[in-house]
Amino acid sequence: MKKQTSADIVGGCFLAFLGLVTLFAASMIKGGMEERLPPRTLPYVVGSIILISGIILAIKSFRFKGENPTIQWPDRQGTVRIFVTLISLIVYIALMTPLGLPLSTFLYVTFSVWYLGRYRILYAFLIGFVSGAVSWLLFIYLLELSFPMGPFQS
Amino acid sequence: MLFSWDYLLQGFVTALTLQNLFWAFVGCMIGTLIGVLPGIGPSSGIAILLPLTTVLPPTSAIIMMAAIYYGAMYGGSTTAIVVNIPGEASSVPTALDGYEMAKQGRAGPALGISAISSFVAGTLGLVGLTFFAPFLANFALAFGPPEYFALMFMGLSLVISLSGRALLKGVISMALGLLAALIGQNPLTGAARLTFGSIDLMAGVNFISVIVGLFAVSEVMFNVERAVTAINMTEIRDWMPTWADIKQSTGAMLRSSGVGFFLGLLPGCAPSVTTFVAYDLEKRLSKHPERFGHGAIEGVAAPEGANNATSSAGFVPLFSFGLPTAPSMAVLLGGLMMYGLQPGPMLFKQNPQFVWAVIASMYIGNIMLLVLNLPLVGMWARIATVPFPILGPLILFCSVVGTYSIRFLIFDVWVMFVFGIVGYFMRKFGYPVAPMVLASVLAQMLETSLQQSLLISQGSAMIFVTRPISAVFMGLAVLSIVRGIWVQFKTHAPEVALAEDEG
Repeated sequence: MKKQTSADIVGGCFLAFLGLVTLFAASMIKGGMEERLPPRTLPYVVGSIILISGIILAIKSFRFKGENPTIQWPDRQGTVRIFVTLISLIVYIALMTPLGLPLSTFLYVTFSVWYLGRYRILYAFLIGFVSGAVSWLLFIYLLELSFPMGPFQS
Repeated sequence: MLFSWDYLLQGFVTALTLQNLFWAFVGCMIGTLIGVLPGIGPSSGIAILLPLTTVLPPTSAIIMMAAIYYGAMYGGSTTAIVVNIPGEASSVPTALDGYEMAKQGRAGPALGISAISSFVAGTLGLVGLTFFAPFLANFALAFGPPEYFALMFMGLSLVISLSGRALLKGVISMALGLLAALIGQNPLTGAARLTFGSIDLMAGVNFISVIVGLFAVSEVMFNVERAVTAINMTEIRDWMPTWADIKQSTGAMLRSSGVGFFLGLLPGCAPSVTTFVAYDLEKRLSKHPERFGHGAIEGVAAPEGANNATSSAGFVPLFSFGLPTAPSMAVLLGGLMMYGLQPGPMLFKQNPQFVWAVIASMYIGNIMLLVLNLPLVGMWARIATVPFPILGPLILFCSVVGTYSIRFLIFDVWVMFVFGIVGYFMRKFGYPVAPMVLASVLAQMLETSLQQSLLISQGSAMIFVTRPISAVFMGLAVLSIVRGIWVQFKTHAPEVALAEDEG
């Protein structure tokens, strides 16, 4: 998928598939035709638009001849950084309920700052600690929002 | 009539209360910060803060949200000039001449002129808003559901056709936004749809998660892959522009105010579009066009003016029709709806205190920004040089907190994550993001107005072309699509959306 057209062919096929899934899901919607706007109509319309545009995009790109722009993908290191960033975000979100907001924020920020910036661990630790403390002070203590507290649950 | 000097005066009285002044100030500061920082813009900034502000009374909250928006428009120029990194896409033309000026040791005057031009154009735009919005709202009082449906339809088609050379991808982006909004419960019957039996999906996809994902998360991904780290800053010496500088750029300020305001009334004409138009216009009108790109001060005044005039203009269709013209306006619309306020003519009629307080606060906010920005420029420039490895994780932390606090569901945070990845690939593959955002916010209103229209017409879709006003909107929608197809037909190239911002 280095070139714009090959990316568009892949994208078009994926969209066509998504359109089909939507149409299938729309056909499962319960409800009668007695209403003025039957409940299945809009999902059918949206699914069809996605299906048809996906097919057109794929065909158009397949038949395209001319100057073909290159898509700027990250290099190996960049790809690794993106993956690590995403995985740490997944872990952060997953840990939020069991560990609570302050603790999970502390762990996440410390790790990410250390990993992305290659700072000394103590420096990253400090930023993480401040973030975790602020998250507790601002959102839980001051605004009294019901964030998970994890082991600190009183 | 929906305008009277009394209303405006009362608006100022409300806006000048200590509480509202404070929140306008907070909004201006946060807005400038968001504008200065790369990786976060007004749409994601407002979206993250929206759920957290529900503790405030609606007027204060919306005053703050609006201040964040126009504050970001001010802030975007600072980094463009000082470090050649436009905080927003709309500041790209500012960087052309602004950074050149900075390299010549004239960063101070460039920053000064951009603040002054922002103030002049922003205030002129507000005058336009003050008189234009009630006039249009008066007209919109006659609208019924078919007119609203046609209006939103027109808005969406304009956003798609103006989003550069990517018509088909614009349509796809819109359809995906609608699809996301359809998931969950049917607003009328409450029956599940497109949920595949999942209980989580029953709650539906919240537009805030969509916006924070599309903008904040995907932007962080972009910065992470490029390994943006430290940024060098040019030295700033003299701060103030001279009278000669101001005189030289007066014409550019006034013209860009006009261009920015009137183009800004159109859906899809975000600041990222109008700033380029204004810059180009000044270059054409100039007696010395060769100076542009080499530190022409008009080249800083014009885009900054257009930027702020457009941001004021965006409130006209938002307040009078309830029609957002850009992603950040869509977020504000969502914010109003969260408070149970339905923008449109009835807002002027039923909540005049609210509308006029917000409008009045914008005049005050513009003055605040001018006063704050000139002396604080050094501080903002320093903040902009915070290394991304620190900024990125903090942006994601705020995104998680913001999306979680919408409904206190971890599901909303996962949705944000998914849309972050969707946004990353959309931008890599050249899909415009704005149609998706607007569609996801407008979907419910589109559906309700369609439903009501069909009830009135007893099921006939002809109602949209037999009523004159809605017929005009539908006609314009078709025209804009035909124009888009024509433009695409002429340019023989693969579809790639223009660089857009969160404007």
